[in-house]
Amino acid sequence: MVNDVSMSVDFAGIRLKNPLNTASGTFGSAQQFENFYDVSLLGAVTLKGASAVPWEGNPQPRMAEVFGGMLNSVGLTNPGVRGLVAESGAYLAGLASKGTAVICQVAGHSVEEYKEALVLFEELAPWASAFELNISCPNIAKGGAAMGSTPEGAFEVVNACRPLTKRPLIVKMGPVRVQEIARSCVDAGANALSLINTISAMSIDINTHKSRVARPTAGFSGPAIHPIAVRMAWEVCNAVDVPVCGIGGITCGADAAEFLLVGCKAVSIGTENFVDPAAAVRILEELKDWARSQGVSDINELIGAFEC
Amino acid sequence: MTTLSSAHKYACSVLVNEPLAQDIWRMRFSCPELAQSMRPGQFFNLAVPGDPSNILRLPFSWSVSDPREGWVEFAYLLVGEGTRRMTTMIPGTASDLVGPAGNGWYIPQNTQHALVVGGGSGVVPLVALVHELTQHGVSCDFVEGAATQNRVIYEDAITHYGAHFYLSTDDGSRGVHGFSTQISQDLLASSAAYDVVYTCGPSPMMRAIAAQAHEARIPCQVSMEKLMACGFGACTTCLVDTKNGRKTCCTDGPVFDGEEVLW
Repeated sequence: MVNDVSMSVDFAGIRLKNPLNTASGTFGSAQQFENFYDVSLLGAVTLKGASAVPWEGNPQPRMAEVFGGMLNSVGLTNPGVRGLVAESGAYLAGLASKGTAVICQVAGHSVEEYKEALVLFEELAPWASAFELNISCPNIAKGGAAMGSTPEGAFEVVNACRPLTKRPLIVKMGPVRVQEIARSCVDAGANALSLINTISAMSIDINTHKSRVARPTAGFSGPAIHPIAVRMAWEVCNAVDVPVCGIGGITCGADAAEFLLVGCKAVSIGTENFVDPAAAVRILEELKDWARSQGVSDINELIGAFEC
Repeated sequence: MTTLSSAHKYACSVLVNEPLAQDIWRMRFSCPELAQSMRPGQFFNLAVPGDPSNILRLPFSWSVSDPREGWVEFAYLLVGEGTRRMTTMIPGTASDLVGPAGNGWYIPQNTQHALVVGGGSGVVPLVALVHELTQHGVSCDFVEGAATQNRVIYEDAITHYGAHFYLSTDDGSRGVHGFSTQISQDLLASSAAYDVVYTCGPSPMMRAIAAQAHEARIPCQVSMEKLMACGFGACTTCLVDTKNGRKTCCTDGPVFDGEEVLW
């Protein structure tokens, strides 16, 4: 009988039962995964981004498979905060009562829209443990990466939203200027950071001469981006003192372990949720096995243990 | 409104995998849970082993199954790298799938006579439908449209179930020279009083069939195909534009009311 490892971590004042989180946009509203495992085994879930009013998102085709991953051009399709709460609020309240942190992601085309969505969440989602500001979606023309790709733009959104809630604010960052933008977000009052969002990328049909998705560019995710994401997470962990959630191409416990070693307090499973719907719990078990193999009794002993 | 999927993850094992027609293969695999729970028109998302750089599952609908023996069969067109890799899944190959996914065909009450029109590999989910219809005593006219005579699939099964079989080929090598829509137009114009029309195939074909059914004032069900990643409502990539807004092909469909789809 192996000694069990304590997997609990503190993330911006939220006690997570383990570091396993899910990347927004790959996990629906969480209940889509109940057929595959008991979602309350996870430390946290991050929901699909929601805006103040429903968004239809981008036209078809919205995805293309590429080497080592996929491109998506979804464009934050969502039923709005009210729609999300009406559809999934009861389920999410139950999930939160079982000790899994529910993180609601906030989307907007402008500072005002982020504020409107956050105000609605603050009122309608008492079960939410934290809010994540998505300032890095590469698939919308306004807002998202269009606002979060500069330190000034990121500061503006976070600074405007900060007074609207006492709950932790997480900022979902894209793969650009990560140290500068991380510092800006923290200066504006962010309690935690999560990165990376998908990488803006292209794939072209060489016979039709057109993009394989509806827009010229789309967000690249999957195992191919993992080494880039680890590097960026390491840089951000070195730049700021708030907790970081590492995201990008995690397919197994070893991939997740690299993020913890560079200092991330949590990790999010993204595209792998589509490949193996039971991925997050499998990776949790693999992470525990790894911790045992390292001879520790507490996963926190391995966070930031990277030597350079 | 979010439609929750009935899909689970199940292990499966290949029993038969062989050419069925030109560029079309047939795979039969063991998966008792799926064989016992899947309805005609539903689909599954299959993991295809052998290439870690190609990560996504491939979605397929099924043609024939045996719940007692626990197997499911489908046919697949070789269209890309993934389906060509599938031909290397020899009997005994273990994999897993996510299913049963989607809503499946709907048989309206008091249906007595159905027109079923399949194009290319779109015939596959209609084979299972015809089996169910004929078991319920529904008389079926089945129109298959194939590119050429070497691509005709499941003719034996469809006639064995008792459906009247009509064939068109694009090149005229067998049956009516032209498209399935010409045969369906003639059948709808004849005295046959259909209660329902079912179709699956290329989008222009389904659009034409839906228009013919609309003209004849007969309800029509179409099975849509969209690129998708997960197959159970999480990725929201597989949207279908409808008169009632954008719907998710994998959970709200793949079967839609032909009147509802914005082609």
